[in-house]
Amino acid sequence: MRFEFSRGSSQRGDRFFPSHQQSNDQVAAIDMQSNSSATTNKNQPQTSHTSTSRSSDSGEACGGGNKWASKLLSECARAISEKDSSKIHHLLWMLNELASPYGDCDQKLASYFLQALFCKATDSGQRCFKTLATVAEKSHSFDSARKLILKFQEVSPWTTFGHVASNGAILEALDGESKLHIIDISNTFCTQWPTLLEALATRNDETPRLKLTVVVTAGIVKSVMKEVGQRMEKFARLMGVPFEFNVISGLNHIGELTKEGLGVREDEAVAINCVGALRRVEVDERSSVIQLLRSLSPRVVTIVEEEADFSSSRYDFVRCFEECLRFYTLYFEMLEESFVPTSNERLMLERESSRNIVRVLACDEENGGGECERRERGIHWSGRLREAFSPVGFSDDVVDDVRALLKRYKSGWALVLAQGDNHESGIYLTWKEEPVVWASAWKP
Amino acid sequence: MGAEEALTSSCNGSVENPVGGSSNPPAQKKKRNLPGTPDPEAEVIALSPKTLMATNRFLCEICGKGFQRDQNLQLHRRGHNLPWKLKQRTNKEVRKRVYVCPEKTCVHHHPSRALGDLTGIKKHFCRKHGEKKWKCEKCSKRYAVQSDWKAHSKTCGTKEYKCDCGTIFSRRDSFITHRAFCDALAEETARVNAVSSISNLTSGNYHLMGNPLGPNMAQHFSSIFKPISSNDHLTRQGHSLWMSQGGAPHFSEAMAGNNIQEIHQLGSVTSSGSIFRDPLAVPCSNTPPSDHYQFNWPVFGNKISSNIAHEELTSTLALPLSNVKEAAAAASQLVSVPSLYSTPQQKSHQTASANMSATALLQKAAQIGATSTDPSFLGSFKVQDGNNKFCGLYGSSPISTNPASDMEKIKKRSNSHSKSASNVLC
Repeated sequence: MRFEFSRGSSQRGDRFFPSHQQSNDQVAAIDMQSNSSATTNKNQPQTSHTSTSRSSDSGEACGGGNKWASKLLSECARAISEKDSSKIHHLLWMLNELASPYGDCDQKLASYFLQALFCKATDSGQRCFKTLATVAEKSHSFDSARKLILKFQEVSPWTTFGHVASNGAILEALDGESKLHIIDISNTFCTQWPTLLEALATRNDETPRLKLTVVVTAGIVKSVMKEVGQRMEKFARLMGVPFEFNVISGLNHIGELTKEGLGVREDEAVAINCVGALRRVEVDERSSVIQLLRSLSPRVVTIVEEEADFSSSRYDFVRCFEECLRFYTLYFEMLEESFVPTSNERLMLERESSRNIVRVLACDEENGGGECERRERGIHWSGRLREAFSPVGFSDDVVDDVRALLKRYKSGWALVLAQGDNHESGIYLTWKEEPVVWASAWKP
Repeated sequence: MGAEEALTSSCNGSVENPVGGSSNPPAQKKKRNLPGTPDPEAEVIALSPKTLMATNRFLCEICGKGFQRDQNLQLHRRGHNLPWKLKQRTNKEVRKRVYVCPEKTCVHHHPSRALGDLTGIKKHFCRKHGEKKWKCEKCSKRYAVQSDWKAHSKTCGTKEYKCDCGTIFSRRDSFITHRAFCDALAEETARVNAVSSISNLTSGNYHLMGNPLGPNMAQHFSSIFKPISSNDHLTRQGHSLWMSQGGAPHFSEAMAGNNIQEIHQLGSVTSSGSIFRDPLAVPCSNTPPSDHYQFNWPVFGNKISSNIAHEELTSTLALPLSNVKEAAAAASQLVSVPSLYSTPQQKSHQTASANMSATALLQKAAQIGATSTDPSFLGSFKVQDGNNKFCGLYGSSPISTNPASDMEKIKKRSNSHSKSASNVLC
């Protein structure tokens, strides 16, 4: 299939519609709908894409009430799975006219999902992903990563929710121990640990020793981790906590970890902390990785994952697509409402999402390298984890701490406890009553 | 003697025999033992939960007012013109008493970890094992002791935390996280290491580069999490130590010296590296031209409009700086820096209340830390960057002051902080 598009201004989209009204009726119907909503969107001044103006228009966070992007995108996904090439061509072209990574939510979603759909249609997902990843890697530095994550944590509890819950569980599980070893497999650049170090220094009568072993997952540049490690060491010195920092990199995937490789000693009390880590494991290897974690004899394992299901539907493109669209619509809306409109950090997070979207929708399974990104829901993770562990509920104190944390952010966030009856465990962070992040604790 | 002894005998599991051969010998310090490491000769007393929770057991028969201790009641009785009697300390040797926590799962349940005074064990039991009935509305923190809750409520949400970089935070947790990653923290240690490098570098031909930072001694080893409202009266002895070592000019020289090496290093990096190449150009060269790729994605950047280009550039500008830092790290590590913190000087960094582990820590840390200069002390040179990234980094906080001017840092801060971890409690 050969596609040619030029990057036109999205504002000219409406002039193309009239000439296409004679073609495929179904498509024309979509055209009409999109036309009206697209026109409405375009008539709004570009600068007014703040949540307040939008919500006053339509009561929804972004994209007005029409959600033209999701309609077009879903149509296109269906067309791809049906291999209807003229329809695909047409829809891709339309999306390209309307999409923009610098517009409102709909335009952004259209832009990034269009990229993934295009890659899927042209079977170029792997290459596209690699290129995007390379670009990102080259423009990231310790400073940019730090600025990004700290800013994100300042405006949204998306990551801090899991941090506070996990730290609480870890502190309680390891209370009284004098030699702690935390194995950290996460994507938050050690921003979880300063508050834990502070707690270790102040809460206990005798400050225990902490060894922190960070397992670098793909996508995090090693030089960044080196700098992060130095900061952690300095900070631990400041706190008066005896501290040792190690980085494990160069693994192809987590399954290659060993007790010796991690430096786990018999006299240590081990905690394993996985934030956004399990989803990077290839779906078929998840059970064995969980067994591997069990073999490290930890006192506690904390798992934090985003609440979405890209795994069970991985052989059903349309279903996977819909779920992906649902999740990232939430995410983008959340980003839009949390950051200021001109935020560079938000743009970087959106771009990161775009890479993940390409990865999930347009890349084949057998690639490994820790880039999988196929999320599962908390209840499914629970089922897997129960094969090797039993759940530890978060104590009232920890739940209180998390609630207190959420109070410090804009409204819209809430904590929901999992229903213990159908084997659910852990707690959920909800955004506008939709669960988005799941946190849980486990013991052997 | 009376009431407590009676209760002792009625407790289950009470240990009235002295604890011999405790596994935790008392600390070397003369003043007081570390909490929970009792004198092995002491008499161990186990009180019941009920006893511990009871607060005002000594009641005045006239007005019913309760007191925690008999002495207080006696003094109160004077006000009613009642006969009172203060018990004298008996002349015969009184054996020291220590108290264990009745909660079996508690660390302090075991006699070897008993606490030394009655009030202490009462507070401990109530706070740790008591029901937390009192809850702060603002932050959801819960307390078992009402007075604790009251004290907290007065100050909750009113504190502001100020980092050395100038940013102010209303949330303690984000302050802590920021602090750990803040360049101001890195710079302190860099300056410390720079001082140590003076004694090592014999060559004198460093030209002074107008060092914008100056001798801002006050920032280092902030006890950090003290909110702004409390004035810190503990000045660091190390502070004056460094000042006496020669002040600004030496610092500038030392840093300038490092700079020269770094800049040379930078030159070599540039020539060898693809680092400074426009990252936007990279994908275009890597992407093989094919029929499928007539399509131009904005993220690839070839046809991006001008406003997009600007955003790309700001992120790429971060790039050379970070690599400069790495280069600096490489260069600086070539300089062998012996530990400035030989024992007598290093101890001066401690405040009086620091415990031994912190001292030992610093010693060890100094030996380790002194040999690797922190690369990001080049953060000071961000000011030279036209974009003023330094400002940009800290400008993102909603209540941030403008930290961009390093000249501000030259002013000595009156609130220099001490390092001890115990001061973190606020």
